[in-house]
Amino acid sequence: MNRTPHIPPVAITAYQCVSAAGDNLNALHAALLANRNCLRPLRLFELPFETVVGEVSTSLPAVRSTLQTYACRNARLALHALNQGNIRAATEQAIARHGAARVGVVLGTSTSGIYETEIAYQALLRDAAMPSDFNFLHTHTAQASAEFLRHELGLRGPCYSISTACSSSAKALGAAQRLLVADVCDAVLVAGVDSLCRLTLFGFNSLQLISPDACRPMDIQRSGINIGEAAALLLLERPDPGNTESPRLLAVGEGSDAHHMSAPHPEGLGAAAAMRQALQLADRRPEQIDYINLHATASILNDLSEAKAVRRVFRNPPPCAGVKGLLGHTLGAAGAVEVAISLLALDKGFLPGNCGLRQADPQCALPIVAEPNLNHQPRLILSNAFGFGGNNASVLLEAA
Amino acid sequence: MERISLLGFGACAPDCDFRAGLPFPASEINRDAMPVMLRRRSSQATQMAFSAATQACAQAERSPATLPAVFASVAGEIQTTDQLCLELCKPDAMVSPSAFHNSVQNTAAGYWSIAQQCTQPATALAAGADTFAMALLEAWCQLACHGGELLLVCYDERWPNYLATERGQTAFACAMVLAAGTGPNVFLSLSRPYAVVGEDLIPATEADPLLAALPLLTLAAAGGKRQQLCLSIGSDWRVDVHGR
Repeated sequence: MNRTPHIPPVAITAYQCVSAAGDNLNALHAALLANRNCLRPLRLFELPFETVVGEVSTSLPAVRSTLQTYACRNARLALHALNQGNIRAATEQAIARHGAARVGVVLGTSTSGIYETEIAYQALLRDAAMPSDFNFLHTHTAQASAEFLRHELGLRGPCYSISTACSSSAKALGAAQRLLVADVCDAVLVAGVDSLCRLTLFGFNSLQLISPDACRPMDIQRSGINIGEAAALLLLERPDPGNTESPRLLAVGEGSDAHHMSAPHPEGLGAAAAMRQALQLADRRPEQIDYINLHATASILNDLSEAKAVRRVFRNPPPCAGVKGLLGHTLGAAGAVEVAISLLALDKGFLPGNCGLRQADPQCALPIVAEPNLNHQPRLILSNAFGFGGNNASVLLEAA
Repeated sequence: MERISLLGFGACAPDCDFRAGLPFPASEINRDAMPVMLRRRSSQATQMAFSAATQACAQAERSPATLPAVFASVAGEIQTTDQLCLELCKPDAMVSPSAFHNSVQNTAAGYWSIAQQCTQPATALAAGADTFAMALLEAWCQLACHGGELLLVCYDERWPNYLATERGQTAFACAMVLAAGTGPNVFLSLSRPYAVVGEDLIPATEADPLLAALPLLTLAAAGGKRQQLCLSIGSDWRVDVHGR
């Protein structure tokens, strides 16, 4: 097939993140430097098994009355992120510069507003009807919080969600880059948002993947994953003389394992192909990469598969680490959250550590950074996100 | 890139009365479109998606293993999700691991890649009332940036009726093989999808958003005529269509 080998870079002119580490990027930066685990017992609802989660514990803002039909935990997380730092102002400036019709929004989520759906089902069983304020298309379905952001900001450009489980928001970045390169948009707000809910906690527990304790990615004594919630927002624009100080999204490599619905390819073939494709699309070589933000969920199959994939692509792998020991696995938000972390590493000049690591699994055989390294100024970072269905994405970022 | 081309299409509509009223050929669920292993546990959504996608690839004479895929659905695996939500109401809820991993929006995309041994990118997209328009736009952008060909599959199974009154009651899937540029022997060529600003039309397909694909499929099936038309593909989205 005749596929064009390269894609032009785009600028990331603003970004923000709300997570278990706190309300904004500063809190996330502090947690990364301290390599502090932000995982705690769940407070949102009761669980019949032991675990810790990356819960956003501050109170979330209310959705304005005119957009009340969109109100759900997912939308409120997105709104909370939008209210931090300069991300709202930067998006409004983009609207002023380019016109609302040229600014789009692409959101990645796995379970959207299902936390409210689960509560509504209790009423369904009790009253034989869903609660009168339940709005399926404005809270439950995958595009709901994307539409909320569109209305909240007055955007008139394309608006959709990518929902490919844990690679969702990494792939949303790829879709946004294409909207810019194909000249459909002049700016795209990318969101990665997922909120804690019964479905994912009970679901991963049924797969026997939930760790009772804080997870320890890549560690020989790992005992499974922790679930987290977060919202990350990133504003993408074409490079121009006004944004030379902004880091670049070079490419998003995407591919499929074609192997199994819930287990990764044991040799990491699909993950390796996604990393290779990111490098190829950006015309970069493996030896140029300074750091890899691993997907590293702390499930044994995932960790081993990803380690093999990295070693397939990199003869001498660069420093690597995974951050899920800090925030838990934020599922559909993880791609965007970990790109925000990688951008902090590029902007502030450090390598994030692998929280929870005591003794690296010798089978992984990667140069894992256990503690943050402040004496390293990375230029190029690859950030991985792999999901159910063997859906793989690898995001390549460059410092300004 | 000025245009993209439609190389083949397929449609699946399990309800025979609805199917009989469609102005283009549509099939019931074709269980042969699926490996035996997958048939037993797959949802109506995934089975419909496979049926339409298999038909489109056959008509376009393309191997599914070579095509990147865009899967689009308003509500995804809503029947499986509904069963899980009912189970989660019980104090001693027991979630089935396979039901859980079969509840993700990219279930059809994942099984398609596995069944076809296709390692190309597969995405799963949702955009409410504009799901068909945004799926076509995503397809356009992929072809504009990377060239080549791809498979677009749009599907919605029937939603439990208490979720959204009088909505999502028509199970329907359609699939298209699309290529960058134009060429001989194509059904149609399409412009970039565009929004018509200020025209807040109420779409005729509000109850079943994916029926926004009907005008385009109707035109493709009629085929052969040299014409240029502007078609509605969503609430305020349009595409210009050029005949053969």
